[in-house]
Amino acid sequence: MDRRKFLKATGVAGIAGLAGCSGGPTESGSTATEESAESTSESTEAETTQESTASADSEVNVGMVYALGGLGDKSFNDAAKRGIERAESELNVSYNEGQPSAAEEFPTFQRRFAQSQNPDYDLVCCIGFAQKSALQETSKNFPDQKFMLVDEQIERDNVASYVFKEEQGSFLVGHLAGLLTNQQFEAGAGSTSGDSKKVGFVGGFEVPLIQKFQAGFTAGVEHADENIEVTSAFAGSFSDSAQGKEIATSMYEDGADIVYHAAGGTGLGVFQAAQEQGKFAIGVDSDQSQTDPNYADVILASMVKRVETAVYTSVENVAEDSYNGGELTTLGLEQDGVACVYGQELGSEIPEDVKSSVAESRQAIIDGDISVPTEPQ
Amino acid sequence: MSTQNTLTGLLERDWSYRETLVGGAVGIFVTIAVLGLLLPESLWADLFGIITERSTLSSALRLSVPIVFAALGGIFAEKVGVINIGLEGLLIVSAFVAILVPAILGPTETTLFIPNLWVGFAAGILASVLFSGLFAVVCIRYKADQIIAGLAVWLIALGLAPFAATVYYGGVNTENLGTSLPTWTIPVLSEIPLFGAFFSATPAVYAMLLAVPASWFVLNRTSFGNHVRASGENPRALDTVGVNVSRVRYASVLLSGFLTGIGGAALSLGLGQFIGNNQTMVNGKGFIAIVAYLFGNYNPIGAFGASFLFAGLEAVQIRLQQVPGYAIPDSLIQTIPYVTVIVVLALVGRTRIPEAAGEHYESGDD
Repeated sequence: MDRRKFLKATGVAGIAGLAGCSGGPTESGSTATEESAESTSESTEAETTQESTASADSEVNVGMVYALGGLGDKSFNDAAKRGIERAESELNVSYNEGQPSAAEEFPTFQRRFAQSQNPDYDLVCCIGFAQKSALQETSKNFPDQKFMLVDEQIERDNVASYVFKEEQGSFLVGHLAGLLTNQQFEAGAGSTSGDSKKVGFVGGFEVPLIQKFQAGFTAGVEHADENIEVTSAFAGSFSDSAQGKEIATSMYEDGADIVYHAAGGTGLGVFQAAQEQGKFAIGVDSDQSQTDPNYADVILASMVKRVETAVYTSVENVAEDSYNGGELTTLGLEQDGVACVYGQELGSEIPEDVKSSVAESRQAIIDGDISVPTEPQ
Repeated sequence: MSTQNTLTGLLERDWSYRETLVGGAVGIFVTIAVLGLLLPESLWADLFGIITERSTLSSALRLSVPIVFAALGGIFAEKVGVINIGLEGLLIVSAFVAILVPAILGPTETTLFIPNLWVGFAAGILASVLFSGLFAVVCIRYKADQIIAGLAVWLIALGLAPFAATVYYGGVNTENLGTSLPTWTIPVLSEIPLFGAFFSATPAVYAMLLAVPASWFVLNRTSFGNHVRASGENPRALDTVGVNVSRVRYASVLLSGFLTGIGGAALSLGLGQFIGNNQTMVNGKGFIAIVAYLFGNYNPIGAFGASFLFAGLEAVQIRLQQVPGYAIPDSLIQTIPYVTVIVVLALVGRTRIPEAAGEHYESGDD
């Protein structure tokens, strides 16, 4: 008897656990979740982690579907969250958020927001290039729902697409790295030797988006000095920080002074390696010397990608009835969509002449005097 | 009598198997060395340079730690007759708890004169033991299907750790502790070229180098080890001589959790941070460990060899990507460790699964 009971209990707990892993956004009307939520508390807790500030009395309701890194990634998703938070405080906007944990869940989350009647979402923000194929389907099925997509483009009237010129920002940090590796420089926990002409790049996956970072960085380094060698490697993961640490360690031991990463969580291992080796690193997406203060003593600068600008602008457009569906908005250096932001702790120690040459090349890119490649040469 | 014969036969075949593996590895190394020395400026020379570099060796040692410990854990579970495919989940749980506990207690402070880093290490192991205890109860007491229960362990851990991180940290990744496992350098010995890498490493690497022979010894030279093997091969015989099969199985599965927990705690504390997005920072290492111990035919030394091969190829692979001038896509280079392991497993793999693995045992005197 008790064995049967036990099996039943484990079965229910297992299903609830699975629901916790693969659950959609919290919405009434999902009987499966409700049932399992009654039997165990685990899944309910997992589901209610999504903040729900959406209410009927705000003017604009926004649904946020985050990229796979989830909130707390200290970069991409957190930046998107800053955008919606700013919109909330300035524009009378309410929002609900969903954090898919696997690519297969994107359609579910998008559809839930699009279907919802209470609240009726005015805009669904889809963060990250990985949502493109899912959104192609969803936006076709819900022609009256407004969507916005970050990092990719879908040509449909109900999708406003926002892309960044990551290569431009990467060019600037590459220029910075190239200038610093050529001179003796010591600050915080790191130093450059000045005699080795080598810098490194660590990417998450070898995909076109990440290659834009790589291409811009390489071009920037070459702009500083043609003889500097740029080594690059890909970790094959955005979350394997141990791998990131090993890659960066091998680069530093090989004589690289500065390593730039575009690898999400994997990149945190790069900072760790920089600290152990007494070298420098460059962050990505957010100002990582601020979001990861423990590493501020090795982060020279970060290639900041203002996802918050994209989110805020799109929400603002909807609030002001000027939604630009079907259009592609490109945010580069000129629009301040990408930027080279110096580290909180090390920024002040970087020589002025280096900073001014970086500022010069920024202006040159805006003026069109320097064209930055988007693919590795 | 016949058992004796089978055992001798097994031992003999085991030897020739090992010889094939070791001979093959040495053969490949010599080929690379000869080609590398004959053709400088070629891919072979670069490869030879990478393999003989000290940093590659220390990198391989660090990368193999979680895989080796999980593989040892897997051996103890499967040898006793409980197939534990939840190793990945145990790694995730221990990796997370090992960071969470010091973060709560204060990473640089001490509790009862023990630095909290080590308290976290112990807590990570404990979490893994508790999880494997749950798994053991479900599989042994309640006779659940071991594969399904193992999958449940993985899935629950995969959901639970990022969820708990979200509750405590507000995101799936934990904050950085600001401290991580130190490097212990043994004077003089660490000066040896190349192999000095064995003497300048984190405590986890030393623990691994001790745990492998110790596991072999426990499994093959102690009465507990005999009971473990008997329970996996012929539990009725073990029962007949008056040993409680369930007890042996519980002990061995808990030991499996203990060993895997060391691997998980070492993984996250090596960085001072737990990354919880996608497949978490464990990223399939538990499953690689399963391949490793099958590859090593349930022998701790063999499992270490297989894990080390994989980790070594991984260390070579990330360096090979950085060699400029070859038109090989990096994504292709990244697959080298996986492809090699599959090829070797297919060509020379000879795994004999314990007779009673996956089967429940009814002692009949309940």
